[in-house]
Amino acid sequence: MAHISLKNMLRPGFVGRSFKSGCRFQRHWDTPMASAFFCGETGAGLFILSMLLDFLPGILLGLVITGVGKTFFHLTHMGAPHKSWRAILRPDRSWVSRGLWGIIFFVGFGVIHVMGELFGVLPAAFEMPVFLLALAGAMVVIVYQGFAMSHSTAISLWSSGLMPVASLLYGLLAGASLVMMFAASGFAVADEGRLAVVATAEPLLIVAVAMVLLSLLHGAKHGSKGAQQSYELLTRDFLAQPFLLGVLGVGVILPLLILLLAPAGFITTAVATGAILFGFYLFRVVIFKAGVLDPILNPANGFFR
Amino acid sequence: MTSYGMVFDIKRCIGCNACTVACKQENSLPDGMFFTRTLSAESGEYPNVSRTYLPTICNHCEDAPCERVCPSGATYTRDDGIVMVDGTKCIGCGSCAVACPYDMRTKVEPDLIRNGLFGDGNLTPFEEQGYSRFECGTFTKCDFCSERVDAGKDPACVATCPTNARIFGDLDDPDSKASRLIRERMGRQPLPEKNTRPKVFYID
Repeated sequence: MAHISLKNMLRPGFVGRSFKSGCRFQRHWDTPMASAFFCGETGAGLFILSMLLDFLPGILLGLVITGVGKTFFHLTHMGAPHKSWRAILRPDRSWVSRGLWGIIFFVGFGVIHVMGELFGVLPAAFEMPVFLLALAGAMVVIVYQGFAMSHSTAISLWSSGLMPVASLLYGLLAGASLVMMFAASGFAVADEGRLAVVATAEPLLIVAVAMVLLSLLHGAKHGSKGAQQSYELLTRDFLAQPFLLGVLGVGVILPLLILLLAPAGFITTAVATGAILFGFYLFRVVIFKAGVLDPILNPANGFFR
Repeated sequence: MTSYGMVFDIKRCIGCNACTVACKQENSLPDGMFFTRTLSAESGEYPNVSRTYLPTICNHCEDAPCERVCPSGATYTRDDGIVMVDGTKCIGCGSCAVACPYDMRTKVEPDLIRNGLFGDGNLTPFEEQGYSRFECGTFTKCDFCSERVDAGKDPACVATCPTNARIFGDLDDPDSKASRLIRERMGRQPLPEKNTRPKVFYID
């Protein structure tokens, strides 16, 4: 991994790329992929909530974040971006492929929906199907990355059913916080009643995210050797500061305190939204960097005399 | 039906890495790329210490996670069980690399291919000929030297091993040497808990 120094790769318990048996960092999915995941989930979360609230600026921003941001970072990550269209070919078995179909549906039908809203070009009979197809695409986009990670049995930290749950909750939380930010900025997001529902859901989503994060840590602590190394990295080693202070402190505790205790207003909403998005992005980066492969040959399997 | 696999006799392996070098030569692998490696592991405490050499290679798993997650269909399994990568179809997304529990996928870094071993862009005749098989930015791996296998030969690492620590054969043939060794000496698979059903076995 580009940003993990040689010192970190060869820290106790790790063997880097040397010819020794031991734990190794996954080094193939890095910051561009984390950024793509962040954009996908944030954009889809904002889109879903904005669609349900019928809030056009949020729908547009969600489409741009996913359609432009996520696509850009994915292409940056790809080794052969000119062939990336081929990723549509295996939706029967690959979550990456399913995700690409989700993006196509989400952005494609999302744009058609926006065109219909803005210019009235969509016949009335097609409005609901387009709305539902765009929403279905966004639902796929918001969870598929978690499924793609949880499918990786190689990295025990990721190989958890909590990954898609984390993706869904974080995406909805980012979307809800951005919607509240729009409302605090003076946009007519929705009527008071529906906005109150989002405002109530936001701290609940933060609590749910916190529970998922702690459950991930708990699973890693009691998992395989690679998972235990990931737990050590996240709680005591060089990733402890970004995870405990950044993801949990700034991304979870700070916005929760602000939302529960501080008076509602533009500044407090902006700070809470910034903290949530910062913590979410850091979560994506840190969870990639903490990905550790189990030792290829395990002493438990009797390979050592 | 044929199902090729490999057996590593840990007792015989002396850690010379001749297999590693033969593989690099056979496959024209650039600097830093390996399809096979012989790892070393120390165990015990002084004065009762021992070092074990553990050859590693793509396990050509029956339920290959790299094939399962590949979104472009670049990774596929031949009828004889060899898991292959079609570089022309690979998009370099790295899904296979993070799905492989054995860390056996390697990226064809464009810089290595373009600049060559000496880093000045002047490729040696060996590099010019050998690197033409790679697609820059894609992921690749061991294919059990499929061209040699198709010609009835053993993979290069097997042919080179000076101690016969690597045994290649048809695991579906109960009379093949590989099958007999697995049966008689209780061959073990690496990371069986990952449920990939590797076709590489270790005996000691």
